[in-house]
Amino acid sequence: MFSSISTLRKSRNSSFQSHRSSCRTAFAAVLAATALISPGVLLGHGFEGDRFFPPTIQTDDPFATDELSLPNLSIFNNPAGDGSPKTREIDISSEFDKEIFPGFALGITGQYSVLQPKGAPSVSGWDNISVSAKYQLLQVPAHEFIFSVGVEWEIGGSGRYSLVNNYSTISPNIYFGKGFGDLPDSLKFFKPLAITGQLAEDFPVRSLDSNVFEWGFAVEYSLPYLEQHVKDTGMVRPFRDMIPLVEFAMQTPENRGGGGTTGTINPGVLWEGRYCQIGAEAMIPVNRQSGPNIGMVFNVQIYIDDIFPKLFGHPIFGGSENSLSSGTSK
Amino acid sequence: MKIPRSFLTLAFLFLGMAFADAHAFLDHAEPKVGSSIKGSPTQVKVWFTQKLVAPFSQLQVFDASGHEIDKHDKKTDPSDQALLIVSVPPLKPGKYKVVWRAASVDTHVTHGDFEFEITP
Repeated sequence: MFSSISTLRKSRNSSFQSHRSSCRTAFAAVLAATALISPGVLLGHGFEGDRFFPPTIQTDDPFATDELSLPNLSIFNNPAGDGSPKTREIDISSEFDKEIFPGFALGITGQYSVLQPKGAPSVSGWDNISVSAKYQLLQVPAHEFIFSVGVEWEIGGSGRYSLVNNYSTISPNIYFGKGFGDLPDSLKFFKPLAITGQLAEDFPVRSLDSNVFEWGFAVEYSLPYLEQHVKDTGMVRPFRDMIPLVEFAMQTPENRGGGGTTGTINPGVLWEGRYCQIGAEAMIPVNRQSGPNIGMVFNVQIYIDDIFPKLFGHPIFGGSENSLSSGTSK
Repeated sequence: MKIPRSFLTLAFLFLGMAFADAHAFLDHAEPKVGSSIKGSPTQVKVWFTQKLVAPFSQLQVFDASGHEIDKHDKKTDPSDQALLIVSVPPLKPGKYKVVWRAASVDTHVTHGDFEFEITP
């Protein structure tokens, strides 16, 4: 039908999209194994000082904590080009991260995709599995700042043969987060603002495909931060538990005729519940090469450290037995 | 579209299990966060979203020069363990900062602060 079905999704085949992915049997096994051997200090959640940084949808947050994204559902139209028709792509994905040592986490992601090319039969199957490591290198709680480094490995050929790249991609990452709670009181209504970002370089292994510079960031305005730290405005729930945000997820090929920059701007909102976060964003292509229509993405982030506090929310190795007397904010 | 059975299985596994307690976040306070009030309160009260472990929780009040002015008698309300209370002496007009640390019953710890102002 097509020389390579993976070309149908060329504009969004990036680690940004895949970082919220995964599941399968391996995922369940890792989940169960890590849960059973985890001892007892409750960290988890992305706190820096007074700031709670929510897990964002299109870009990865800088925290190496226990996280479970399940599910992540996105619907997007890929543009026609290179002999491929316009193609609707539906992705259902999940990601699980487990803190191994304090500030160091391993993750596994995967994705089930349905591709619906215009005028041709649809194709579906598992995408490549990705594994990742992340380390929190620098934290400045007083200034709500965090800087982390990491690496992702998309395992070539681990998904359905006709749907995925048969080569691996290695992606070094840097992550950052900055809350603006340290602004002067004269700017107090800007204190709920925060920005997080992710920069990555994709290196295809044994492939003629282009290296890709991935750059993304999220600008957030935390209504919970406003109500809890700045000014009780009397806002009612569920609005006082919401975090409006805009995410930018961009890719710039760098060589081998990889084309121009593509990406999406993603305005949306996150709702913070007691045991989960529910988020939705529109996916607005930044140019014609990025897509012909607006897409949508929905995400549920399950706070496994709150649901299973004895199993999650603490590193497997190196945590103390009791966090209550530690004075940390996690 | 057919949703993979493994996703549904895991989703029901997690969502269907009995929920534990969670992080304690500030729900509301008296005086209100960021408010201006006339007259001194006798207590500062902070309601949280979870029950607290009193010995590991903290509630302090500081004046504009950074001196702690509360009576060091922080306690949870016996009838509402999500309510943390500390007494304060008569307060003069000015800005005050409330600093809290909340240890929920499942040992999650959160902390934060807010200000209120007493006007003449």
